[in-house]
Amino acid sequence: MSESIDNLRRLFEEDLAAIDGMESWKAVRDKYLARESGVITTELKKLRDLPKEARPAFGQAMNQLRALVEKKLQERLDEAKAAEASTKLQRIDVTRPGFPFALGSIHPIKRLQSEIEQIFVSMGFQIFNLPEIERDYYNFEGLNMPRNHPARDAQDTFYFDDSVLLRTHCSSVQVHAMEELKPPIRAISTGKVYRRDPFDATHSPMFYQVDVIVIEEGITMGDLKGMLDVFLKRMFHSDIRMRLRPGFFPFVEPGAEVDISCIFCSGKGCPTCKQSGWVEILGAGMVHPKVLRMSGIDDSRYSGFAWGMGIDRVAILKHGVDDIRLFFENDLRFLRQF
Amino acid sequence: MKISIEWLQEYVEIRESPEKLKEDLSMIGLLVESMTKVHGTHVLEIEVTSNRPDCLSHIGMAREIAALYSRPLKWPTVQAKLSIPSDRIPYAIEIRDEELCPRYVGLVMDGIKVGTSPDWMQRRLESAGMRPLNNVVDITNYVLLEMGHPLHAFDYDVLRKGKIVVARARQGERFQTLDGMERELDGEMLMINDGEGPVAIAGVMGGMNSEISLSTTRVLIESAYFGPASIRRTSKKLGLSTEASYRFERGADWDNTVPAIARTCSLIEQLAGGKIAGSLQDIYPRKKDPVRITLRQANTKALLGADLTSEFIESTLRRLNFDLAPEGEKAWLVTCPTYRADMELEADLIEELARFYGYGNIPATLPPSKTIGIHSPVYRLENSIREIISSQGYNEAINLSFANEMDHLEFPPLQGERAAVRNPLTEDTQYMRTSLAAGLVRSAKRNFNYGQRLVRLFELGKVYHLGSDGVPFERNVLGILGTGGFTDQNWKNPSASFDFFHLKGVLSKLLQGVRVPSFEIEPAGKIPWLNPAESAVLKIGKETAGVLGSLSASLEEKYKLKQPAYLAEIDFACIEKFAFAPPSYDPLPKYPSAERDISIVVSRDLAFQTIHKGILQLGICELVRLQLIDVYEGEKIPEGKVSLTLRLTFQDREKTLTVDRVQDFIDTILSFIHKTYGVGLRSI
Ligand SMILES: [Zn+2]
Repeated sequence: MSESIDNLRRLFEEDLAAIDGMESWKAVRDKYLARESGVITTELKKLRDLPKEARPAFGQAMNQLRALVEKKLQERLDEAKAAEASTKLQRIDVTRPGFPFALGSIHPIKRLQSEIEQIFVSMGFQIFNLPEIERDYYNFEGLNMPRNHPARDAQDTFYFDDSVLLRTHCSSVQVHAMEELKPPIRAISTGKVYRRDPFDATHSPMFYQVDVIVIEEGITMGDLKGMLDVFLKRMFHSDIRMRLRPGFFPFVEPGAEVDISCIFCSGKGCPTCKQSGWVEILGAGMVHPKVLRMSGIDDSRYSGFAWGMGIDRVAILKHGVDDIRLFFENDLRFLRQF
Repeated sequence: MKISIEWLQEYVEIRESPEKLKEDLSMIGLLVESMTKVHGTHVLEIEVTSNRPDCLSHIGMAREIAALYSRPLKWPTVQAKLSIPSDRIPYAIEIRDEELCPRYVGLVMDGIKVGTSPDWMQRRLESAGMRPLNNVVDITNYVLLEMGHPLHAFDYDVLRKGKIVVARARQGERFQTLDGMERELDGEMLMINDGEGPVAIAGVMGGMNSEISLSTTRVLIESAYFGPASIRRTSKKLGLSTEASYRFERGADWDNTVPAIARTCSLIEQLAGGKIAGSLQDIYPRKKDPVRITLRQANTKALLGADLTSEFIESTLRRLNFDLAPEGEKAWLVTCPTYRADMELEADLIEELARFYGYGNIPATLPPSKTIGIHSPVYRLENSIREIISSQGYNEAINLSFANEMDHLEFPPLQGERAAVRNPLTEDTQYMRTSLAAGLVRSAKRNFNYGQRLVRLFELGKVYHLGSDGVPFERNVLGILGTGGFTDQNWKNPSASFDFFHLKGVLSKLLQGVRVPSFEIEPAGKIPWLNPAESAVLKIGKETAGVLGSLSASLEEKYKLKQPAYLAEIDFACIEKFAFAPPSYDPLPKYPSAERDISIVVSRDLAFQTIHKGILQLGICELVRLQLIDVYEGEKIPEGKVSLTLRLTFQDREKTLTVDRVQDFIDTILSFIHKTYGVGLRSI
């Protein structure tokens, strides 16, 4: 019995394969599905001749066969229609270029600047928006760099008059944050800074910095290292290693120079890192007790750390840019790469 | 500071390779910038930070190395006697300004034969970057490079009164220094006088008048301590930095004066045949005490986060020549060496400990956050503007914040005075920019030079003005520039070139994007750098928020742009004040709307905005949208007239609009236009 159904199915598949047009499709449909004389109806009539217990199985099998036939015929019809439609349409040339909607770009330094701000906000920092035209006190005096301090030599400054200048670093955030907030303090400021350095491949009279300050109870140099590590890994890569060397900045004690493993050679040594495997990335340290006191913070209760980093420096390292001037020439061939 | 390894080995044993030494020194804060070979020995160029003048000599470096490797320091031998029973050459030293010169040590030698110094000394001077002159001067320089203390030798016979007077200069006095330069002095500068007049600028440079010459046989040697701030001021004021001033301004060692003069005397005896003729005089009116600091073990842990044992603390500081006396439980009174000008507070001592403990050995920890992150108030607006405008095809530019004279002539400030930099680097940094336009136009021009004719730039940056109090202030400005085609040339390209309405369109999109609720763009009065026929002001609320238009014909010509350029300059604070109006939901209409297009012919001089406002003022609340969909001028239109096609959209929130009601609205509008402007429907 099931043999005869299998046989029917085979016959149907053969008929289906032989369809070569609408006429033959209709013929096959009628042959199997015609209400009175179709093969399936005819077969179903044999139900009566079967023993009672075999009838339900046979009925079910026949209904399945009918569903299969209907489905296959419909598919064959759809295929035929689609084929016919496609021969009538003229195909578009999808390989031609799309409409030239213009795509602009965000400046690489600005993109980094907002990335940096995001990282710090996620670590509980408040972002200060500070003036570029600054009073001497916030840029120098309040940072333990009184007039006639030799450390001022390293930051040749543009002045408007004796006490008003273009900030030479964003470290002014230290003094502003300590004046405006009470500990615990976590603050950063980013933006343009200025030094009287003539333009060349590695110097610019204007560049970008981010400066960081944390003042809390019980902050240690170990905390500075921990937070630096988190920041640098997020900024560069989770594989980055860092090292701290003693360094000098008048507003921190102890002070540190921070190197990261060279991102071009992973620390193996290459021309960028002068074969040392390390590149200097920022300056850091524990906030100098005098700086705390000048800003009215009790240095017997609170301690803190600070660091400052050139954003252009990060951009140069991250993107492999070989000339800082490119950042400020606005050459579209450069800007479009970001 | 150039340090010769051969020379260094005279004071401390060095078993390490130069490379290893370089690495080790870097890790205690003495960065070796480069390594060269001079006269067969390695010379390290060490970046000595301004707080460590004690490292500006071979013995200074040897002290650090001795401490680093726990090795003994060998001092040079000094044989000379510094005083004799009766002086052959009497002389006097008088300090008139104890503040600026707390100690002055001198002695006089005679029988000197000035000549060349021995080869070994010349080689060492050269390896440290100094040019040999004659044996007497070379010896003072040698001792400077060896012991770090600046010395000066005067030709005794030219000292007119046979004495030394340390006093401030007379205001306006002129003096010729050793380098042959005539210098004008002021009343703050400390001078060495001979009782008649100046013979040296104290701690900076000697005078031409008392220079050692080949005929010199008697010299007075000076080994003094001068106050750092005064020397730095003088050096800066005169623009004269010397090996001596460099060390004095960072802080010399007042207790090194006698050893340095003894060493000098000894070398002059050996190498220039001199004999002591006037005994050592040590004028020391203001005794300076060494710095004493209390150090608590607990504070080293509190600052570093590392556990330093008392053994480590004691042995490290003792290796560095600090003297420790116990002061209660786990605390010491530390007496600092007089050469450590950087020692003042406990933190300074803790840094010494950290340097030798190794920064790398301090365990990294992460402090728990006790604060909430807060973005700067402008973060959201700045970033939104950046995202919106860059997505419209504009590239973000950053120009220098400076301006030159020409910028101000071409792009005069629209408000306020310009701020001048007192000490510009070049004429291009003479002023602060008062506008972003000059920088953007120049950036466009640069791109033209590279064959890039389609330029879209924007810049979010500061401009600067002089406040009414004479103090410069800054404000944030958004600048936009567009020139060239509307899009890149392309087979689907609508061939339009960029014009005023593209600029206005992008500005409108931007303001809508940051949800400024309403703004208007109106014809502008005279804006110096814009074309008067194509210039406008942006108004937000009642405030003028900025200007936009095409670059004036004269500037277009001057910059040889050969195509119009469009510029906008918008005050950021003004956008900020109105931006991010909170959205309020308007229920969606339930009934269909009806659209009608009408064409009207009006005078060219009638602003579209006037018609627009007039129609809105009719108060037809069912009129929900009015679009200008076509503008036509030409054959079928009378001279001086323009045909405008308006698309009006009507919507009733309560019910479906009937054809008759829509026609009523149209009639009302047309009769208003006809009555007010004397025009009507265009007959086509
Ligand atoms: Zn490398």
